[in-house]
Amino acid sequence: MRRRWPWAVGLLVGVLLTCLVVLWYRQAPPKASTDVFRWGADEKGGAPYVYLGDNDELTGFEVDLANELARRLGMRSEFVSKSWENLPEDLRRGDIDVILNGYEWSPARERRMASTIPYYNATVRLMVPAEPPKGKEAIDSWDALRQRNKDGSKKRVAVQRGALTETYMRREFSNDVDILAFKEGTDNAMRLVRNGVADATVQDDLTAGYYAEHGFQDLRFPDADREVPGRGYYVNFVRPQDTALRDRINDALRKMTEDGTLKAIYEKQGIWSKRQEGLAKLAEHWPPEDVEPERTLLDETELLIKSAGVTVVLAVLSFPVALLCGLFIGLGRLYGPRFLALPLTAYVEVIRGTPILLQFYVIYYLLPYAGITLSGFAAGLFGLALNYSAYEAENARAGLLAVPKGQMEAALALGMSRWTALRHVIIPQALRIVVPPVTNDFISLFKDTSICSVVAVTELTGGYEQLRIAEPDHILRLAALTTILYLLMSYPLSLVARRLEKRAVKVTV
Amino acid sequence: MISARNLVKDYGTGRVLNGVSLSVEKGEVAVVIGPSGCGKSTLLRCLNGLEMFQEGEVQVDELRLEGGIPDADSAVLLALRRRLGMVFQQFNLFPHMSTLDNVTAGPRFALGRPRADAEKEARALLARVGLADFTAARPEQLSGGQQQRVAIARALAMHPAAILFDEPTSALDPRMANEVLRVMADLARSGQTMVVVTHAMGFARRVAQTVHVMFAGQVIECGPPAQVFDRAGDERVRAFLAEAEGA
Repeated sequence: MRRRWPWAVGLLVGVLLTCLVVLWYRQAPPKASTDVFRWGADEKGGAPYVYLGDNDELTGFEVDLANELARRLGMRSEFVSKSWENLPEDLRRGDIDVILNGYEWSPARERRMASTIPYYNATVRLMVPAEPPKGKEAIDSWDALRQRNKDGSKKRVAVQRGALTETYMRREFSNDVDILAFKEGTDNAMRLVRNGVADATVQDDLTAGYYAEHGFQDLRFPDADREVPGRGYYVNFVRPQDTALRDRINDALRKMTEDGTLKAIYEKQGIWSKRQEGLAKLAEHWPPEDVEPERTLLDETELLIKSAGVTVVLAVLSFPVALLCGLFIGLGRLYGPRFLALPLTAYVEVIRGTPILLQFYVIYYLLPYAGITLSGFAAGLFGLALNYSAYEAENARAGLLAVPKGQMEAALALGMSRWTALRHVIIPQALRIVVPPVTNDFISLFKDTSICSVVAVTELTGGYEQLRIAEPDHILRLAALTTILYLLMSYPLSLVARRLEKRAVKVTV
Repeated sequence: MISARNLVKDYGTGRVLNGVSLSVEKGEVAVVIGPSGCGKSTLLRCLNGLEMFQEGEVQVDELRLEGGIPDADSAVLLALRRRLGMVFQQFNLFPHMSTLDNVTAGPRFALGRPRADAEKEARALLARVGLADFTAARPEQLSGGQQQRVAIARALAMHPAAILFDEPTSALDPRMANEVLRVMADLARSGQTMVVVTHAMGFARRVAQTVHVMFAGQVIECGPPAQVFDRAGDERVRAFLAEAEGA
């Protein structure tokens, strides 16, 4: 009992210190500036919103819109570059005063932030390859999405995570279609359609229209004339307490609609459409009385637990593969023929020396060009196994080297071949030696499964992100739930690891 | 039965074996003695191919090993090692296996014999070295003398034509060394061919048929113990023996 006190005291002191620091730095709730129009957007989100054009100049209709708004408000326009998905948090923290970046109005967002009247009314477009890929049928309409592929799989449709397109697809097609939601889901999603990873992508009409003329002429829009039901109101968001700023923006937007400035901005970018003529009417009763049931704690817990299941499956399937590959790489380097040692060493160094994210991009986006198209799940498994095989190879090598030389000699002197000696004498001892680092790596891989969200596999972190974007006002409880789930999974692993370590130490003399 | 002819072995730093020759007849107990660093252990390890040599040859019955780097898993090497057992100074038992599994490791994994057979024989061998009650023990639970006796049983399990002992008692205190030497003397009485590298002069006097004295990579004196110990012709041998037995 006595030995437990030091860490308990340490923990308590740590928590107290953290509380103090938090209290010290806690600021008054942020308030919007009155002379700088600080608007947040993500220039990596893609054209035609905000993007880096020729000469790396900030371009896009939202840039023009922001500048015009700032001018009419008598303020200086200041663009703040942020990650699209985190804009609500940036707003809350006070890093920006306005979100202006293709954010769709939703009741959940209205609960967390104050919306201006809409500045654009977007709809969705289906994009498919102009020439259906070999062995696949052409997708000629939205309804064709519901038909299974020849191999019985659902059609795979790539969308931008958290955007209008994901909301729409989940509402209308969630049972019939495999929805792949990407953090970078505009031109990347189109690339996936081109190389066959996805069967189609759904984009809003702005994005689809722009890229159909810039770089993706090989994709087409079936059913383009069909009016798709959906809200699609792009609005600005400000903090709930900044109602004065919101009212001023609303005034400016109304005047811009009346005097044709808005239309001029849109026409300059070639994105004016008939739908935009209804904006003024929409703005008369704002915000709309759209009731959408708020997700309950139960709904969210259910989705998070399901995602946690995916995390477990990914870890449990990929790690044994990594371990086995690592063992053989380690053996090859130490005992294999000389011509094998160099390529194996190179393999380990390349895999260890490059970011796991890059490896996932190569597997998911580039391998299709070599004729190997993997689903997100397969790519996730492969990526994790590949990455960890390099680390396990090093573990294996260290373990094999740690077995005393006399062991191999004794086995050889009994007349065993080298492989027999390795199998029965050296490897069993090496494995016991590397139990601690290997279990450590397993726990680490467990958390690294979150990287699979870049290939649209909804594991725990992905599930958290999905919910957080849809229900920004639930962020605290979502974060707490996610943390608890990760701990529930990794803590038992740590306990197992500790027991294994004790046993391992006993065996190695 | 075993003969080494003109073995030469160079490490990067110098010559360890300098044209050494040695031959052992069936049923003979040959003891190799000599000051530290004279190459006696290296000679022993060349006999079963644990060390390579540059020149000369080793012959065990019809099996011939020549100088140069042999293929690690060559048939000759495997056959040769199955015919020559080896007992190491540091025992080199397999720590992850029980005593019984250590003794059956050779027959089972090198020869592919069924487990039940191998275990039956292993129990008998453990009884023979006085460890019938220790079949389930792990090496770490045994004393050094007990471990070395398990190692002898492990070598015997392969029915070797000869057993090579590489300073089998150097890591043991006198009492434990005596346990091991008694087992070795028993083996010798039963007609087991043995090549023993050792510093235990008493054992050499009592048990050996032939004593080889090595000096600087060569055998400089060779004959029955009485002759070597009491009437050595070479001055260096007399000096070495005086020192070794005087201690």
